Amino acid sequence: MNQATPEVDGELYAARQKIYPREIGGRFQQLRVYAVFALLGLYYVLPWIRWGERQAVLFDLPARKFHIFSLTLWPQDFYFLTWLLIIAALALFFFTALAGRLFCGYACPQTVWTETFVWIERWVEGSRLQQMKLAKAPWTIAKALRKGTKYFLWAVFALWTGFTFVGYFTPITELGHKLLTFSTGPWETFWVLFYGGATYVNAGFMREQVCKYMCPYARFQSAMFDNDTLIITYDEQRGEPRGARKKGADPKAKGLGDCVDCTLCVQVCPTRNDNSKGLQYECIACAACIDACDEVMEKVGYPKGLIRYDTQHGLEGKAKRVLRPRTLVYASLITVLLAGFAYSITHRNVVAIDVIRDRNALFRELPGGFIENVYNVKILNKDDAEHEFSITAAGLPGLQVDFGDDEVEVEPGGVQSVAVRLRVPRGELRGGSDIHFTIRTLDEPALEATGKARFLAPTN
Amino acid sequence: MVNAADEYTGRLRWPRLGQDVAIVAWPSFLVASVATMVCFGFIDPALIGNDDYPPPAFENRMTGYAVGFFFFWLVAALSSLMTLYLVRTAHPEPTDEGTGDGTRSPE
Repeated sequence: MNQATPEVDGELYAARQKIYPREIGGRFQQLRVYAVFALLGLYYVLPWIRWGERQAVLFDLPARKFHIFSLTLWPQDFYFLTWLLIIAALALFFFTALAGRLFCGYACPQTVWTETFVWIERWVEGSRLQQMKLAKAPWTIAKALRKGTKYFLWAVFALWTGFTFVGYFTPITELGHKLLTFSTGPWETFWVLFYGGATYVNAGFMREQVCKYMCPYARFQSAMFDNDTLIITYDEQRGEPRGARKKGADPKAKGLGDCVDCTLCVQVCPTRNDNSKGLQYECIACAACIDACDEVMEKVGYPKGLIRYDTQHGLEGKAKRVLRPRTLVYASLITVLLAGFAYSITHRNVVAIDVIRDRNALFRELPGGFIENVYNVKILNKDDAEHEFSITAAGLPGLQVDFGDDEVEVEPGGVQSVAVRLRVPRGELRGGSDIHFTIRTLDEPALEATGKARFLAPTN
Repeated sequence: MVNAADEYTGRLRWPRLGQDVAIVAWPSFLVASVATMVCFGFIDPALIGNDDYPPPAFENRMTGYAVGFFFFWLVAALSSLMTLYLVRTAHPEPTDEGTGDGTRSPE
């Protein structure tokens, strides 16, 4: 933070000054570039991949079916999604305990999209100094053109992002055709603009402010930290007292540490954070300061790593531990949940039954002393092959099942509603009893599912 | 501490109003996203009110999802807003060096 201009809280409308992080290369920045390409590449390419007749990954909300390659998930499979979210949360805890805010620095959509927007900005407006000069310069046609180009490219990229987002929910090739002929539906148009607009504002203008004021993870991540967590840290013992020096001068003779006080670590920081003040929640762990410092250390001929990934124990010269109760507990939980997830998703029942009682009549008394109840039985075939089903019922003596046929054909990924009449000889039957419907495929090995229902008879 | 070569003269953080809007809008957005997912994982918007009479509320499921999402966002935002209001208008907690009567000693 800038000492010369202390920040005053309570100013309601004072505009914020934009941060122009200094450009920096280096091994961690290279890693971040790879991460951007891998993650955004996946995001933009995935909806275009085909799987047989359909899009490989399609969350078909209008039809309430999620297609993920060979897998088709139905609303009944919702718990798989919950399960996945729990695994993802645990993975986040695990990696945070292990190496701090890896997610923020390398994988968070906010960071990743901001990075690409910064690239576009640099490509159009030039280096940091050129950008600052342009911002201060009076408005001319040249300036308007340059700024306009940047905003235009941002907008195109943001719209493409919004289009891709909707392409996960509507077949993207169809959506593309509709877009070219200006015939997208109202919700499609709305969500393209909504997601595109959010990208534009978040990555173009809000940037590090999202991490500072809006992100809950930034605040609670420290709860997962311990003294063996890798953090990006300044080696105070080695660096202090800091100070400028002539090249080749012996720092020890002058009573100085290794820090040459060049302030580059703060200049490259996208959140304008000073990490020599210790770990702060403003740090998004992008490691730009490590790369900047390493470059300086190399130039002045000192060993690299004055700012580095290290643990609190490492800084204190103690032994580093990767395996410790915290990481082991997270790791074993993740392993168990993942194994369970893999097992249940490959062994899930691909047929399902849903029984609803007919609402018009509780029961009907038939000649011959029979009581009849009518049900609507829904057969779900989540398999990718067609199946013929038999329907049986059990739970009462002398139960007869009548659905006007011997079997029901259900297409792959289809639902078939069948009106089923159950008849029971009146006998001793009073009030309600629980019964079970069972559907069973006629092919081998048979797939089956059972559903519970209530059979009602007169109480007197 | 940075002083030399620093060309920032203004404040680097959002004005208070901007922070307040963000603090209300963003967490409620996240909560609304999860709530929408869970809600419509169990409830089909095409079946809401579809008991022959009255007619279904959402003939188009996409409308149902969108209305649900913005409803959840609004409700969560109202809750966030109220929480923020209570936090912002409370007397500060007495600190260790504080006077203990709810006012904070000068820092």
